[in-house]
Amino acid sequence: MHIVCCIKQVPDTTQVKIDPVTNTLIRAGVESICNPYDIVGVEAAVKLTERYGGKVTVITMGPQQADSALRDCMAIGAHKAILLSDRAFAGADTLATSYTLASAITKLSAKDPVEIVICGKQAIDGDTAQTGPGIATRLDFNQLTYVSEIINLDLEKKVIRVRREIEGASQIIEANLPVLLTVELQLGAPRYASLPNLIKALRQEIPVWGAREIGADPDMVGLKGSPTSVKSIFAPPPRKGGPVFDTSDGLENSLNSFLDTLFQKDQSILTEVLNPNSKG
Amino acid sequence: MNESFDVAIVGAGPAGISAACILADAGIKTIVFERGEYPGSKNMSGGVLYGHNLRQILPNFDQLGCPVERNIIESRIWYLSKEAGYTIGYRDNIFTQERKYNVFTVGRAKFDRWFADQARKKGALIVPATVVVDFLRDKNGRVSGVVTNRADGEVPASVVLLADGVNSPLAAKTGFRAELKPEHVALAVKEVIELPAEVIEQRFCVSPSDGITTEVLGEITGGMDGVAIIYTNKNSISISVGANLADFVRTKIKPYELIEAYKQHPLVAPLIAGGKPIEYTAHWLAEGGYYTIPQVYGNGYLIAGDSAMLFNALHREGSNLAMASGKMAAETIIEALKRGDTSRKSLSLYAEKLNDSFVMKDMKKYRNFPAFLYNTHQLFNELPQVAQLAAREMLTVNGISKKQKQKDIMAEIRKKIGLFKLARIIWRGWRSVK
Amino acid sequence: MPKNSKGRDIAEIIPAKCIGCQLCLGECPVNAITMEGGVAKIDPEKCIGCGKCVDVCPANSILFEKPRKKKATAAEQKTPSISEYKGVAVFIEVNNGVAADVSWELMGKGRELAEKLNVPVIGFLPGYKVATIAKEAIYYGCDVVYTMDDPLFQVYISKMYGNALTQLCNQVKPEIFLIGATPLGRDLSSIIATKLKTGLTADCTGLDINPEDRLLLMTRPTFGGNIMATILCRNHRPQMSTVRPKVMKMPKRDPERQGEIRAVKYEGPAEIVPRIIETIPFDTAGAVDITRSPVLVVLGKGACDTKYFPMLEEFARLLGGTIACSRPLVEAGLLPYLRQVGQTGKTVAPKLYIGIGVSGAVQHQVGMQGSERVIAINTDRHAPLVQIADYAIIGDYTKIVPELIKGLKERAPALLKEGVQQ
Repeated sequence: MHIVCCIKQVPDTTQVKIDPVTNTLIRAGVESICNPYDIVGVEAAVKLTERYGGKVTVITMGPQQADSALRDCMAIGAHKAILLSDRAFAGADTLATSYTLASAITKLSAKDPVEIVICGKQAIDGDTAQTGPGIATRLDFNQLTYVSEIINLDLEKKVIRVRREIEGASQIIEANLPVLLTVELQLGAPRYASLPNLIKALRQEIPVWGAREIGADPDMVGLKGSPTSVKSIFAPPPRKGGPVFDTSDGLENSLNSFLDTLFQKDQSILTEVLNPNSKG
Repeated sequence: MNESFDVAIVGAGPAGISAACILADAGIKTIVFERGEYPGSKNMSGGVLYGHNLRQILPNFDQLGCPVERNIIESRIWYLSKEAGYTIGYRDNIFTQERKYNVFTVGRAKFDRWFADQARKKGALIVPATVVVDFLRDKNGRVSGVVTNRADGEVPASVVLLADGVNSPLAAKTGFRAELKPEHVALAVKEVIELPAEVIEQRFCVSPSDGITTEVLGEITGGMDGVAIIYTNKNSISISVGANLADFVRTKIKPYELIEAYKQHPLVAPLIAGGKPIEYTAHWLAEGGYYTIPQVYGNGYLIAGDSAMLFNALHREGSNLAMASGKMAAETIIEALKRGDTSRKSLSLYAEKLNDSFVMKDMKKYRNFPAFLYNTHQLFNELPQVAQLAAREMLTVNGISKKQKQKDIMAEIRKKIGLFKLARIIWRGWRSVK
Repeated sequence: MPKNSKGRDIAEIIPAKCIGCQLCLGECPVNAITMEGGVAKIDPEKCIGCGKCVDVCPANSILFEKPRKKKATAAEQKTPSISEYKGVAVFIEVNNGVAADVSWELMGKGRELAEKLNVPVIGFLPGYKVATIAKEAIYYGCDVVYTMDDPLFQVYISKMYGNALTQLCNQVKPEIFLIGATPLGRDLSSIIATKLKTGLTADCTGLDINPEDRLLLMTRPTFGGNIMATILCRNHRPQMSTVRPKVMKMPKRDPERQGEIRAVKYEGPAEIVPRIIETIPFDTAGAVDITRSPVLVVLGKGACDTKYFPMLEEFARLLGGTIACSRPLVEAGLLPYLRQVGQTGKTVAPKLYIGIGVSGAVQHQVGMQGSERVIAINTDRHAPLVQIADYAIIGDYTKIVPELIKGLKERAPALLKEGVQQ
């Protein structure tokens, strides 16, 4: 069985780690991590191969630095990694990105048929969960998004059964392979790699594939392959801040001042909110 | 884990990586463990590095893409009272020419990461996000490797170099360094304030690649034994204020309040006006000095950098001591491995090297300085106040005769400190740095 | 026009305008562009004056004037008969026989866009027994509703809905197609965009029409969020966009409104699709929907001491509101995911948003910027939420909130009655 996991290296925007020993609070550095949803997908893929046999190949489209995210995945058990890196890939929107990844998967499939593709639900750096479905559509794989549990995989009948988190409910659904899954964090946190596996991953040479290696039509990748383009950029009109009440001026005073101002300026909102008839 | 290494280094900071570079250059099989997600993620300093010492490790560092923020061409010292202050600075164009990169500012996250990558390119294996929790010992109790917190995480090594920083949980656990008392460390908080490069260049009168450093003493540490800094980076200014941990415990001042007050000081505020704080960190400084330096060698191990309390507070030198000690540790190890002898006696060469070098010479010279500062709180309270009064009155032209002013100032000195005491402070201060 | 030493007209970067996106680096065929000090720099001697960098620069920071020929790429190859595409289409999402609110919100926005373009508003409604919903669509502003009423569409299956809507787009040829960014919408939209080989801009916070070229202007946060980008889909149709619930305002429902309903037959192939084995609804008894609460008391990383939760719950109750939180509290297991506000959580737009210890990073702001009034309680006056709040109180919430509870009770006798929700 050959499983391909698509990952993305993202800035670590959410972490405000507080180390009690060194008291380091916020880091403004160059940290990049493997998108948390993606590495959960890799962990699930590795677990499947541990149970059913087979191999996991992890791929990413990005600059050279993205290789460290690939290594994180190999440290937890992915067997092979490919970095898709080429200047031609720069500036890709979601259509071009899914084209590039799908082309790489097709190439990998020629040697060893890919039956399952796993992507994270979305990237935490503002990505929009569009890449997975795009890849599934191009490869004509069955698409199962928001997977929170892999219930059963039958390699003989080539059927997979999963639990999906949809709006207001959990859904148990079954699909024929080949299939593309996008996964939720609940699927299972990645293991803490053993030292030998980590060291092996750090030493691994990661092949780099460009547009030529994946047989991509140069007009379909990167900026050239992107129907959407940025017209302009601007700083968002700042929501203007209002009055600031500092309790170091005296708790009661500042809060009285605040409540006075609030009741004066926003009487209507307060009435709406506090009116028992509008509750519920 | 079965694979063994010649040297295992704990900590991928300036000391550890300097050693790794020297060892890798000599073909020694080296592994470096870093607890942070990447080298530098847990490091913080005001931000200055010393070209001389970096050149000893990487002679052509400026051509290897070293992430330099600004080349320092002027050093300032300020002595501040609550609303005023004395300033003195020394600027010399030689620091843009033959002595370029004598001192330069860096961002530690960027620099440490780049520095570790140089060691990696030379052949050292850098393993991030992994914590060394203990030493491996052979049947005689000698250190024979490290134990990490990962599965199969034991790594046999002929020599272990401890370079895991001022907090060094490992030194504390294994007892190789005595437990630090609060008065041996300072707690510093730092903010990086973003400002456009042109604004910085205008405010400090420097060209796009140059900058200044300012060391600040006085009342800005809330009466505590401490120091503050203002360093210029390319697009930001690093400001930091720190004080002796024992003083923090005693006064209960909150570090956050201290830095807020510092930022609002009339001499500081205009320099950072309009800037946006983009980073806030805190760290310990190894202020104890010479008397807190542990035994830096043992059976199968050495200690370098902040772990060994190698920090010269008076001259704000730490990174150079770290790099120099890392280099000397590496050289010692190379000799020891050649001899096939990693015993205490063999590794004692490290201490010899340190003693012969500026590292121990400087540490020894200033051995009494930390105590002097700690025991002379007038430096941070009455003296700045008196100094403010003296300058304020002398500079005000208001018809009072200079002799009268002098009398008033002396009266104030007598009242606040006492002439005799002042003389003693000056005398003891001089003695402590001689 | 600058020239290099060989007399060739070359391109030049204006450093002050360069945003450092590096798109030009990838584009330059002769590697003449490098990054220096965070901005791009063109080596004049290497530059061959082809102008490709100018084409991709989003910040207009490259000086260059020479005309040049280029082969049409996918980005430039237009959708055939692009001029035939007219109308603003909106996907009407149906869950358990009820239309999703976001579909009507987008209908309202679609109405606005269609008026500027002078074209009809079109509804796309695959489903089963959807006649009533089709009428509702007209009441909310639709001119023509295309229904694909078939048992095949009773429950959402990706492939079926993807095929159905692709078919509708090909038949009806709308120039704009809007889909709500619900879990279903996000599963669906990329399928359609990929099949139609058109551009999709997801999670838009703003939509407008450029009067000069009639193109849809799609605005969304980018580069980690401090910058907004306006995105175009010039040569491909339909211009697709997804928008999160509660970003656009719900339009008025007009039961007198007239419109057309056209039934369309599904022409897709009979396919083997995934089979739903079971659907287990979440336990709704006691389930909280923070998107429906008029007041939210949102707890951030600075308010995660569970010791104070009862006090904060009382505060929320008094205001008739609900406790919600930012991401760190869900990750720490202190509160369930259904209370999470933000980019990876829910988008909310309450009348009153009270953030306690919430720093308000962009990912969070994206989920609450539609709130009518924002009150921030924080110890950090530099926190982004404090900067944008309508009212900010700086200090320790454990002392502030009890005082506020007291103060509110004194001033608003209505609060002496117990609040309703939780």
